[in-house]
Amino acid sequence: MTESSTPRLDARGLVREFPGGAGVHGIDLSIAPGEIHAIVGLNGAGKTTLMRLVLGMLRPQAGTVRIDGVRLPDAPAAMWADVGQLVEHPLAYAELDGRSNLVVAARLHGIGRRQAAEVADRAIAEFDLARYAEVRASRLSLGNRQRVGLAAALQHEPRLIVLDEPTNALDPAGVILLREALLRRAAAGAGILVSSHHLDEVARIADRITVINTGLAIGALDPEGIDLERAFFAMLHADDLERPAA
Amino acid sequence: MSALFGTAVAVEAQKALASRVMISIAALVVGGIAALSLGMMLGAASGDEQILAKMGPLAGVGGWAGLVGVVAQITAAGGVVAFGVALSWMFGREFADGTVAGLFALPVRRSTIALAKLTVYFVWAVGVAVLLTGMVAIIGLAFGYGATDAAGVGELVRIPVLVVLTALLCVPAAWVATLGRGLLPGIGATVVLVVIAQIFAVIGIGEWVPLVAPALWAITPDAVPVASLLLVPSVPLVFGALCALAWSRLQLDR
Repeated sequence: MTESSTPRLDARGLVREFPGGAGVHGIDLSIAPGEIHAIVGLNGAGKTTLMRLVLGMLRPQAGTVRIDGVRLPDAPAAMWADVGQLVEHPLAYAELDGRSNLVVAARLHGIGRRQAAEVADRAIAEFDLARYAEVRASRLSLGNRQRVGLAAALQHEPRLIVLDEPTNALDPAGVILLREALLRRAAAGAGILVSSHHLDEVARIADRITVINTGLAIGALDPEGIDLERAFFAMLHADDLERPAA
Repeated sequence: MSALFGTAVAVEAQKALASRVMISIAALVVGGIAALSLGMMLGAASGDEQILAKMGPLAGVGGWAGLVGVVAQITAAGGVVAFGVALSWMFGREFADGTVAGLFALPVRRSTIALAKLTVYFVWAVGVAVLLTGMVAIIGLAFGYGATDAAGVGELVRIPVLVVLTALLCVPAAWVATLGRGLLPGIGATVVLVVIAQIFAVIGIGEWVPLVAPALWAITPDAVPVASLLLVPSVPLVFGALCALAWSRLQLDR
């Protein structure tokens, strides 16, 4: 497989089940370079568990995860420098201001001290954070903390981006900024996985939309299709009706 | 050791310096122990019987040795609580604040981050030791020991040794805070450390127990062989390794 055709992310048969039946029960997922792949599903569908599995936050009971062709347990630590993620909580320390949080995130992604300051400055400009650069994260609104977290996840120009419900708490201006930031990075070759519990602005820019229900991928929506919302709920409803009989 | 260890130490140091928690604990330890010691010295000087009873065999010891003994008595218990809380915060806050998720999928290994936290904690504890020693020296000079007991000033060295060894003995709190995913389990472990130390001290077999030996040595140096202090680093080494392993194997499954 050539470099250009190797998926940024390739997950096969992922299983991680929790007591009570929740979790992920066997999902395949792939993201090509330059592709935005959205996973949509209701709360508790297994989206966050799936994202945790592909990022090594959880170990699968079965299945494999490959990032740029390298299987996860064998992946060298340096590989993670090319990954950016925000799953649930933004990496924004309450005691640090916006700029310091971005510098810390850049340094943890392996960027040197001097370059990290430049990277943070670019992120402040891209995500319109100048007003909050010197404000402690503890004093930021939830939406602005999310904006800092998104900037921290994207500023080092990762080749694989994984964002769990990234529009949470964002205002409409923030949503547009995020959408543009993701489109720019996809155009530059990044593979992007985003989740949402509804068909929000970011899910709508995806090249592929996979619907997740009760820990399984139950189908795909055509991002160009009309009345996506109706198609989404129809798919969920049909799956729920089918499930008890299965 | 990862090449990014220096980066992890720099990041942890920046977090510790920016936070009010570590500075407040340092101020409480230094100010609190100094104020209590001063109070006990003044009480003893005025012949307060209750204070003299609390001081036990130290009541008859004057000069630098007496002052250092009083400080050691307070530091032995108070220091464990302060250092245990500091470690519980450093490790437990990542879970309580949810920032632990951002410490995954990084080129810096999580075990490296855990060891960087312990390194920053150790440097901070050395700073606390230096400050407390300076504060006690000022109290001693104020009591005139500079003139009346010039030869005894060497006794002061027991304070930084006790503070640093006490800090090392608290590392299990970091491990428990990690296993318990929060601050409270670490603080609970700290309380257990204090209780265990008290039990060993009361039943009188403390001189070879790492958890108790530094305190007994600092209060009454002749009662404890110095060699027993060499066992103390075994506690941070074992629990530091357990901590690094726990961070390396960490899953966000709760």
